[in-house]
Amino acid sequence: MADVERRAYKQAIFAVRDEDAALDIVQDAMLKLTENYGGKPAGELPMLFQRILQNTIHDHFRRQKVRSTWTTLLSALGQKDDRDEEYDPLETLQAKSDSNAAADPALQLEQSQIIALIEQALSRLPARQREAFLLRYWEELDVAEAAAAMGCSEGSVKTHCSRAVHALAGMLAAKGLKL
Amino acid sequence: MMPESEFAKKIATYLTAGTTELKPGVAYRLQQARTAALARLAQPDKMPAIERELSMAGPGYSRGPRRSGSPSWRWIAAAVLLLGIVAFGWQQWQAYIQVKEFEDLDAQILSSDLPIDAYLDRGFQNWLKTSYER
Repeated sequence: MADVERRAYKQAIFAVRDEDAALDIVQDAMLKLTENYGGKPAGELPMLFQRILQNTIHDHFRRQKVRSTWTTLLSALGQKDDRDEEYDPLETLQAKSDSNAAADPALQLEQSQIIALIEQALSRLPARQREAFLLRYWEELDVAEAAAAMGCSEGSVKTHCSRAVHALAGMLAAKGLKL
Repeated sequence: MMPESEFAKKIATYLTAGTTELKPGVAYRLQQARTAALARLAQPDKMPAIERELSMAGPGYSRGPRRSGSPSWRWIAAAVLLLGIVAFGWQQWQAYIQVKEFEDLDAQILSSDLPIDAYLDRGFQNWLKTSYER
């Protein structure tokens, strides 16, 4: 489950670009899963969790939209949300512990840079494309499960995935990265 | 160009590698969130399936505080915000009325035949007062 929650956190942070908000989203999704679906068979839980996670991310954006509307109305409190400018995927990377020091540091650095570029590119994808890509290829849901988690048709999932792959390939190639 | 699925799998491999590089504290907070979620399991018969899924990597259960506010607190916060908006609006309206009164008074003073310096004369003020009392 540690892997699942880490991937969920990463998914949330790709979407909202805010660590605290991402942690809140993952926690809320876990709570909703245990409160509402505790009795479901274990096989259904990954798909249910992904669906709850995506809905919780959407809820976050809805709340943020309402908040920004009020902020605009109350111009005295209005300040530009500069989280986009502050966000730097490189900041999310930490040096590995000494226990991994046996690996080549140059390779580790190269891998960290590649991961940062990929995460940056993912953050720039349209939300639905990113969701579809992560659910299909990272969470390894099949098309039907991904469609259920996203609340759309299977055709849409395929389209979003295909566009996401092409967009990612384009963005990474523009940065000189070939996988 | 390599097939889509192959490219996507390579990306996924890198993303998985990226999950090992979380900031210090994040993994701990995620674990806390998991234990808090497990503590919320209300019905004992729900435990087995979810327990297997959630507790594979974690220690025993402990009740942790929920980080985000409960719905009742949200309602209270909304009510306080609304009250604040009403109070702010009322204060702005009062200020507007007061400014308007001053403007009218200034206009009356400036448009009257009496020189404005007369209002600064103490004798004239006393005369006005006594004539008003009479």
